[in-house]
Amino acid sequence: MLSSKIKNYEFKNPILVASGTYGYGDEVKDIVNVNSLGGIVTKSVTLLPREGNPPPRIAETASGMLNSIGLANLGVDKYIEDKIPSLNKLKTNIIINIAGSMMEDYLETLEKLESVNSKHIGYEINISCPNVKEGGMAFGVNPKITEQLTSEMRKITDKLIIMKLSPNVTSVEDIAIASEQGGADAVSAINTVVGMGIDINTHKPKLYTNFGGLSGPAIKPIALANVHKVYQAISIPIIGIGGIQSSSDVIEFILAGADLVQIGTLNYKNPNIGVEIVEDLKEYCRKNKVDNISDLKGQLKYYDH
Amino acid sequence: MKIYSEIVTVVSNERIADNIYEAFLLSPKISQCSHPGQFINILPSSNWNNIMRRPMSIASQSDNKISIIYKIFGEGTQLMSEWKKNDKVDIIGPLGNKWFDYENKYPILIGGGVGIAPILNLHNYLSKENISNSLICGAKTRDEHFLDHSPKKNIFMTTDMHDFGIKGNALDALEIILNDISLPIKIFACGPHGMLKAIYDYSIKNNYGCQLALETIMACGIGICQGCTIEKKCSEDLHTYRNKYALACIDGPVFNIEELTDAF
Repeated sequence: MLSSKIKNYEFKNPILVASGTYGYGDEVKDIVNVNSLGGIVTKSVTLLPREGNPPPRIAETASGMLNSIGLANLGVDKYIEDKIPSLNKLKTNIIINIAGSMMEDYLETLEKLESVNSKHIGYEINISCPNVKEGGMAFGVNPKITEQLTSEMRKITDKLIIMKLSPNVTSVEDIAIASEQGGADAVSAINTVVGMGIDINTHKPKLYTNFGGLSGPAIKPIALANVHKVYQAISIPIIGIGGIQSSSDVIEFILAGADLVQIGTLNYKNPNIGVEIVEDLKEYCRKNKVDNISDLKGQLKYYDH
Repeated sequence: MKIYSEIVTVVSNERIADNIYEAFLLSPKISQCSHPGQFINILPSSNWNNIMRRPMSIASQSDNKISIIYKIFGEGTQLMSEWKKNDKVDIIGPLGNKWFDYENKYPILIGGGVGIAPILNLHNYLSKENISNSLICGAKTRDEHFLDHSPKKNIFMTTDMHDFGIKGNALDALEIILNDISLPIKIFACGPHGMLKAIYDYSIKNNYGCQLALETIMACGIGICQGCTIEKKCSEDLHTYRNKYALACIDGPVFNIEELTDAF
């Protein structure tokens, strides 16, 4: 009813959790049955450890939040040593998010992850972090470089390659097409939207880096528009991301053209939200006599123009 | 340490001082395993439209109950002040580390404003364990205090207005009571940043051991979002993680001042 496939990898349901909002799955193990999810995308890992940006790094906004973490993470060697063993024990799909600043960073990180005994089924490639000068954003705004990076990675792995797209571009379709042409198995959309907040008492920006990434329900309409544009442009699967907080939000993304979705910021409010949405989706399918939720993909009915 | 996601029942929720409330929550799981210094992450109401929960220090844990002490500051605490007996509240906890190393020195506990919550928890714990200690509570005004000034019990009040208890701020009070203490001391403090900074400087200058429970903006409370950074002293190695920027939620909220830069 809820299952779907990307290439030969089966997802038991379309609910994944977004990179950076679920750590490595072990942080929530006491309070969530992580294995009920369709998959986990782990926090961006880079070749070397990173401290990330100085504080303040987060701020609350209307129906969302701004963040500028700066890819703080333990680095790929420690990831392999500390996180892979516990991730291997999970009975859900593991997708490793990789970030970098140069082509070689991505490729070397990928090679290291390919060489270990791990159950992960693929990689989500962060070419769209808005918060680090060298955070891959140069890749995510340039179709040529996106295609080159994708095809270089394709030579290294047969596992899934999912390119994570930024909404902070003139044409998200061009980057999606470049990903497809480079050999990506899927794209995920969207990463956070560039935003800003200002403290009127101190006249300071609410984030140390001035600008940050806006996430949460505030960006859902932007995400839906981007997913639908991408759907019209490419034929590989799409993973929809942006402010999802209910099963009806998930249905909207699927109708817009998504195969799977990721839940992000709402995990902070309710770490169990993904599991709850899976149950709600089953109920939706029963009520609406939907045999396979994937039948709804792109089934948007346009007005007659 | 195990954490719980618990739907707790409000036992009481009362105004105990000017704009300050104390809520007791029936929390069979968290109350069994929480320690002074730890906190819970609260969903102020079931139709809370904000993204972030509100982290609050645990002020007590006993008889299947925990308590929190909070000041109405914004929308979240306003909603909390409207909790009624038997309301259900969604909390996650216990989170963070705890006060530690209070055995070998004479503990002086200092709480400012609602920063008193984790301090009171430690005070009650130490008193129960028969570890003598002194407690200093600072507030802006007399109306914000909910404890009695009881020098005989080593409990001292101060206010910014100098109209209650010891005349002066919390640090002035500390200097006054130090005259009567012959043992080596250690300071445990929680409160507004200005007060903590003064205590930090004073402790460094006088070479006193000191722990601070720090408050930052926080989203997840469990080490995922990386938002609640506290700047630590560290060697200038370019490629490290949580060496320079610790996380208040899992590396804290309690830090030894030796670990911190003065920009904490």
